[in-house]
Amino acid sequence: MLPKPHLWLAAPSSDGIGREPVTFELLFSRYSGYVAGLAARLLGSGDSELDDVVQDVFWLASRRIEKIRDLVQARGWLATVTTRVVSRRLLRRRFRALFHASPVSRDVPARGATAEEHAMLARLYEVLEKLPTDQRLAWSLRYLEGEPLDAVAAACGCSLATAKRRVAAAKNVIDEVFRDD
Amino acid sequence: MTDQKWTALAKKIEPSWGPERNRSVRVGLEQRTTLRRRAIGALAMLATLALVVGAAAAFIRLRTPAPSAAASLGPASAAPGGAAPEAVVVTRLSPETLLEPLRDRHGRGFELRAGGARFTAPHDAEHPFVVVASGVVVEDIGTTFTVQYLPNDKLEIAVEEGRVKVRAQGTETDVAAGGRLEVAIAPVSPEKPSHAPALPATSAWRPLAERGQYSEAHTALAKAGPNAVRDETADLLLAADVARLGGFPAEAVQYLERVVRGHAKDPRSGLAAFTLGRVLLDELGRPAEATEAFARARAAGGPLAEDALAREVEAASRAGDSSRSGELAREYQRLYPNGRRARAVSRFGGLD
Repeated sequence: MLPKPHLWLAAPSSDGIGREPVTFELLFSRYSGYVAGLAARLLGSGDSELDDVVQDVFWLASRRIEKIRDLVQARGWLATVTTRVVSRRLLRRRFRALFHASPVSRDVPARGATAEEHAMLARLYEVLEKLPTDQRLAWSLRYLEGEPLDAVAAACGCSLATAKRRVAAAKNVIDEVFRDD
Repeated sequence: MTDQKWTALAKKIEPSWGPERNRSVRVGLEQRTTLRRRAIGALAMLATLALVVGAAAAFIRLRTPAPSAAASLGPASAAPGGAAPEAVVVTRLSPETLLEPLRDRHGRGFELRAGGARFTAPHDAEHPFVVVASGVVVEDIGTTFTVQYLPNDKLEIAVEEGRVKVRAQGTETDVAAGGRLEVAIAPVSPEKPSHAPALPATSAWRPLAERGQYSEAHTALAKAGPNAVRDETADLLLAADVARLGGFPAEAVQYLERVVRGHAKDPRSGLAAFTLGRVLLDELGRPAEATEAFARARAAGGPLAEDALAREVEAASRAGDSSRSGELAREYQRLYPNGRRARAVSRFGGLD
């Protein structure tokens, strides 16, 4: 199994070995599923918003395709863009919630999960919904995606110290809620 | 719950993402691309349009010649009746410009004999500003305009602001701001004054009047007899001008009344009624009849309505009908709370 590449941008290789020319077709066919999965975990809502998020991410990708050197870089870049697109969406969702009392769907697409796991995920996203968006995203990248802290900082567009602080703040709340589980 | 357990649990969150959804996203992306292209096209079109409009504006601005000398000419004397008109600014466009004030126009009329000049004349419905050049009569309707002779026996009238009315060879043309009109004229001789003492032919009253030579036109009209004036609004108004400005205001009444009564549906009948009122009130001292004439002018509506009502108040007051003048003055205050003539109306209406 190939090691999982981190989100930061890899240093360009000087000899060009292992590089695959990046075209939009290739990028889309290879990473649309990855972007959809990442967005689903960060958003924690039903399937309905995913198409829009994937479209937004690849719309930006199509306009900056010439800046993406290779497919390894592309994955990290796409993760960063997805985090930002999801962040905007979460802020919009929160703003809408001020005027519409309708609760967000917690039907997280978790195939193969037991009923108990479904319940736990639903509870987790309820807690995340109440956290500040930047803390939520930092914690999700760290513990749901399993990214190292420097990659979390890169994706969130903040310093390492800030990323650590955000992750820790969210972790305190979540640990407290799930202390007995 | 340990942190590793969250990672393991999260691995189970996977949306059902397949070729169908990929296709749907691709369609959405293509639509966005099309919309973007259209938006860019529309923006490019708007930018081009703005450039063209800007270039046209710059071109028009450049075409306006810089003034070589300027003179502000106030009224030579107080105009008959009503408030004195505001100053007219005349700028000679070249050293050979030959310009003479028209008699009886009280500083609001000039004859251009040679060269060109730029005129800025505040609108005064009672004292229209007129420029006469080789039989072409340019009458302003509140404007800044240029009149100049062109080398090929043509006269150019270019309007910067407002509107002018150009009468030439029996036709009448309105030229609005930004507009330009070239009129063919007979060759002019600046050395020979156009009001030379040569006796006009009996049928020559009309061209003389159009050149602003009202005294000569009146003589010609008197010789030609009453049938020399056609029963048309333009001809009747011109004949009234000849009588009025030639120094025989009483004779103007018949022509103006013919317009008011016989051509009531003509849009110029309001102007005729207003002029009739002024002649009757200011020049003939017949305020009671003037009141009726101003009432007709007011009923015709249009831009003269406010002035007509104000003059109606004055005429009623001078006729000794204080109740009517008071009533009309209150009507004026109701219709025109910030009217230009509010002070005079209050005075004549006895509301002070």
